[in-house]
Amino acid sequence: MDARSLVIRDDLATARENSWDRLASPGTWWTGPERIAIAAETRRATNCALCRARKEALSPFVIDGAHDGGGELPDNIVEVIHRIRTDSGRLRKAWFDEALASGLTDTGYVEIVGIIATIAGLDTFDRAIGLPLRPLPAAKPGEPSRRRPRAARKTLAWVDTLADEDAAKEDPNPYPDLEPVNVHRAMSLVPAEVAGFFELDQALYLPQAAIRDLENEYRALTHSQLELIASRVAALNQCLY
Amino acid sequence: MVVLRASGRVDGEDFDLGNVIGSGDGETGVAHGEILLAFSDAVVGGDDAELDAARVAVIDALGQEAFVDAAGAAASFNSIVRIADATGIPVDEFKQDAAREILDDLGIEEFSSGMAN
Repeated sequence: MDARSLVIRDDLATARENSWDRLASPGTWWTGPERIAIAAETRRATNCALCRARKEALSPFVIDGAHDGGGELPDNIVEVIHRIRTDSGRLRKAWFDEALASGLTDTGYVEIVGIIATIAGLDTFDRAIGLPLRPLPAAKPGEPSRRRPRAARKTLAWVDTLADEDAAKEDPNPYPDLEPVNVHRAMSLVPAEVAGFFELDQALYLPQAAIRDLENEYRALTHSQLELIASRVAALNQCLY
Repeated sequence: MVVLRASGRVDGEDFDLGNVIGSGDGETGVAHGEILLAFSDAVVGGDDAELDAARVAVIDALGQEAFVDAAGAAASFNSIVRIADATGIPVDEFKQDAAREILDDLGIEEFSSGMAN
């Protein structure tokens, strides 16, 4: 089968292109070149010897060493990227606290999470259908917007989040067409990452409103078949969210 | 898994969730479940030959449109789990009873995401 001959739904094709463009563009806290460096490091993590050894260990916290990083980003950021990409199911609050104590801001951390999730989604889809790894796009110039939602608070997660009902008038809306369920709220400290990632995610999986509409089918696979895949992939990642 | 169990109940089915997470003999009760599980495993794993074979099996059994949807679902959950895990977000309250019931059925004591504070 030639993956290039596959028909990709229009909404999915558009969401993928928008995501590549968004990866290369200035974000909220990182510039375009920094976002591309984070995406490149995310890819490197999957071939990192230290990450592989940690993944195989009973506890990842007993294995020391240096990551196989690209040298573009500081060690504390490389550690965050590699751990989230390769062993997220065993992250702990103490590890997160250490990441912030190393000088990384909470907003910078959340944007990194969004970049990792985006590149992981794009690359996994391409691998799944048989396309080669797509070269990362050229970074776009410009400055990050640096807007922190004023009403974001620590109520739910390790990071501050923005509840729909708390959002101030001047705060960017992280939920333009999404229910503020917890997984959407997770990155709401950086609203652009919520909107951007879930545009891709809803095209990959199902639109928000379709997920719990079990009386109707929206894809060529049934809800049960889609959820079977979702559950298995989550379990393989040691996540029972 | 909460939605999987709910979708089965709508169709009058009781899916074997132990097999979904890999602790049983592979028979889930979902149509073409074995093929879709093998595809999911291959996408997340690193064996290219296994993935080639899994792709052909999905297309032969379900067609190209379904294959693209299967790839999308795998990609979605191979990324979204990292958001849940890396932010320490808990399972929504409205899902907690159903999630707890599933974990009890599977003999799992804790959520691995968002409850590991």
